[in-house]
Amino acid sequence: MPRGYLCLVLHAHLPFVRHPEHENFLEEKWLYEAITETYIPLIQVFERLIEDNVKFRVTLTLSPTLISMFTDPLLQERYVRHLEKLIELADKEEGRTYGGPFHETALMYKKRFHEAMFTFCDRYNRNLVTAFKNFQDQGRIEIITCAATHGYLPFMMIYPEAIRGQIKTAVDLHTRHLGRPPAGVWLPECAFAPGLDEILKECGLKFFFTDSHGVLYASHRPRFGIFAPIYCPSGVAAFGRDIESSKQVWSTQEGYPGDFDYREFYRDIGFDLGLDYIGPYIHPDGIRVHTGIKYYKITGKVDLSQKQPYNPRQADEKAALHAGNFMFNRQHQIYHLSNLMDRPPIIVAPYDAELFGHWWFEGPKWLDYLIRKTAFDQDVVEMATPSDYLRNFPCNQVATPCSSSWGNKGYHEVWLCGSNDWIYRHLHMASEMMISLASQHSNAGGLYRRALNQAARELLLAQSSDWAFIMSTGTMVEYAVKRTKNHLLNFFRLQKEIKGNYIDEGYLGNLEYRNNIFPDLDYSWYTNTNELPKAASL
Amino acid sequence: MNVLFPLLFLVVILAAAVIFLWPLRRSRSVKKNEYENPSPPLFNEEFAEGLSLPPADLSAQQLQCLPEPELPHYYGIDRMVLLARDPHWLFAYWELTATKQDEFANHYGLEAWSTTHPVLRVYDITGIDFNGKNALGYTDIHISESTDNWYVQVGEPDRSFCVDLGRMFPDGRFITLLRSNAVTTPRASLSDRLDEEWMWIEGLYRTIGKFQFGVGSPMIVEELAMRSAGLPLGISSPGFKQEK
Repeated sequence: MPRGYLCLVLHAHLPFVRHPEHENFLEEKWLYEAITETYIPLIQVFERLIEDNVKFRVTLTLSPTLISMFTDPLLQERYVRHLEKLIELADKEEGRTYGGPFHETALMYKKRFHEAMFTFCDRYNRNLVTAFKNFQDQGRIEIITCAATHGYLPFMMIYPEAIRGQIKTAVDLHTRHLGRPPAGVWLPECAFAPGLDEILKECGLKFFFTDSHGVLYASHRPRFGIFAPIYCPSGVAAFGRDIESSKQVWSTQEGYPGDFDYREFYRDIGFDLGLDYIGPYIHPDGIRVHTGIKYYKITGKVDLSQKQPYNPRQADEKAALHAGNFMFNRQHQIYHLSNLMDRPPIIVAPYDAELFGHWWFEGPKWLDYLIRKTAFDQDVVEMATPSDYLRNFPCNQVATPCSSSWGNKGYHEVWLCGSNDWIYRHLHMASEMMISLASQHSNAGGLYRRALNQAARELLLAQSSDWAFIMSTGTMVEYAVKRTKNHLLNFFRLQKEIKGNYIDEGYLGNLEYRNNIFPDLDYSWYTNTNELPKAASL
Repeated sequence: MNVLFPLLFLVVILAAAVIFLWPLRRSRSVKKNEYENPSPPLFNEEFAEGLSLPPADLSAQQLQCLPEPELPHYYGIDRMVLLARDPHWLFAYWELTATKQDEFANHYGLEAWSTTHPVLRVYDITGIDFNGKNALGYTDIHISESTDNWYVQVGEPDRSFCVDLGRMFPDGRFITLLRSNAVTTPRASLSDRLDEEWMWIEGLYRTIGKFQFGVGSPMIVEELAMRSAGLPLGISSPGFKQEK
């Protein structure tokens, strides 16, 4: 038996950015970039590990919005076109950089894009969910779900039905696409509030994650801190994020991704090259965007103009070195902890998946090395998913986790501050209306059922925590505000029509076409359960 | 004749006013192309104009830029919602209908509204089933008439609170109009409650030592977003100019 466990969690999520109304929609590119730079590289890492018969266990969240976009024919088609353009650009780059310091890197990109095309089209027939499902079915990754649209759940606590809508929709979609119900859930932004666990339990979920202090500050005080899960009074397990391993990777000061040999994110040919050359590969309106082709390394604390050429082989060596360092530190951590505990400790290391590859270009490589080293070079640490751990150690301490999130300052301020607090007035009103609609129209049929279901979709889309997050960071705010308002306005119009017994089918049909997420959603999940603490007046 | 003359004069003046002012209004309505329209009342007016007399030279592109419908600020429902932001701060928002104001006036006299002022009364209701009278204590916050949301600094982790919005008479009498839901602030430290059956292992916590919140990927994501190239969960924002 190993001395302890490492629980790697990758949280893969993007907000629903599907805009059939425009051929070139800037925000849709988030998805395309993430597919090329994060999701496909991760898939390729897992494929190679399985081919080489390396044993590993990784936990992965596939958020319901991401699954919906992965399986959407329009977005699949658009991604292929996007990648074709990228390959065309990479071909040109091969010639342009010939004989210069960037040529090797240019060839690397060309190869990567061709491989991405093969993976996306030939191997998985454009549906990346199939890839992850394969790894799941082979027992290599445990896929968990998230709230339907990544809604910020602690601020829905006054409407348990709204939380239920988010969770039930997620579990339903997940089960349909992955062939089995999820055992656990990634709470959006790691945001927990006591009582949430009751709804998770109701939906068949057995565990979730919190930030370190979510478990550390639980009451009663957890005997093993964050190195063993605790059970909420409902019996749902909470795993707390390890501080040390997070810091090692993500600290802006001392984290691995800042290494000088790694690729510089902010020098992209989409910004660096003349419009006459790069024009066809950026936005048609001439708006410069990241192409993903970047030739420089971080170099040091120097101005962007002083960056030196990237060397893929050097960067690769660094990734191996860092993986070794990470493993070494976990071993030591576990040696120390296992002397203090009556069971092997579990180190929970969760990361946003999109930071691997997209931002930390060498991240997938690092993961590959880490998994191989853990499998072959030592026997102190073993990889495990929360389900594995709970199977082996079903008896855990009971305590109520502390309300918390993994955002700045550890609580809820990022999603409730001067720039975004106005949304809750509307989101709460819409939630209340949705609950009352669902409760008054049990067993609706035909047009009414369609309108009620679409109203629920619009509410869910308005609730994405991504919008509040973007508003708080102060960039791209306009888009986030627009999405919040539009979905709410759609909701209010549908609500009015349902109440007024007149449904404009043309309008409804248009919404169903544009916001086609969650086709199997059932509005009755919002039905009032009479446990609603009244927020309204005396 | 004497009656008709001034009338005719009035008509001429009105016609002149319309002729001179119309272009002004139209140009304003075309310029309004922001999604974010901070003044909702303006919108109604413009929408009506657009319906009755669309300017002939408005191209399709300009039509797209017309102000979009705005969310209502009030929904005509008396309500007050309280959220716990962190161990030290609460946030409350509310909506008070005219009906509620009328009720108040009916009860306390027509003058009562103007002789009183709005107050938020923040009750500490930790560990009790609050009935309006049994709070452990309360703090009053005097606010202005137009306020409809407030950040309340309670400064006390792991306590429960409820807020009333009410009117206060000059003699200090407080009349509740709205009552919020109850919330509990998050803990900000280790729990003092040690299970009798479980031992507390000092060494284990010593390894954790002092730590900083948010040294995780969300922190990086936020930093990226601030530097204007990263976006929700690390995805770069196409279309956003780099700072450099």
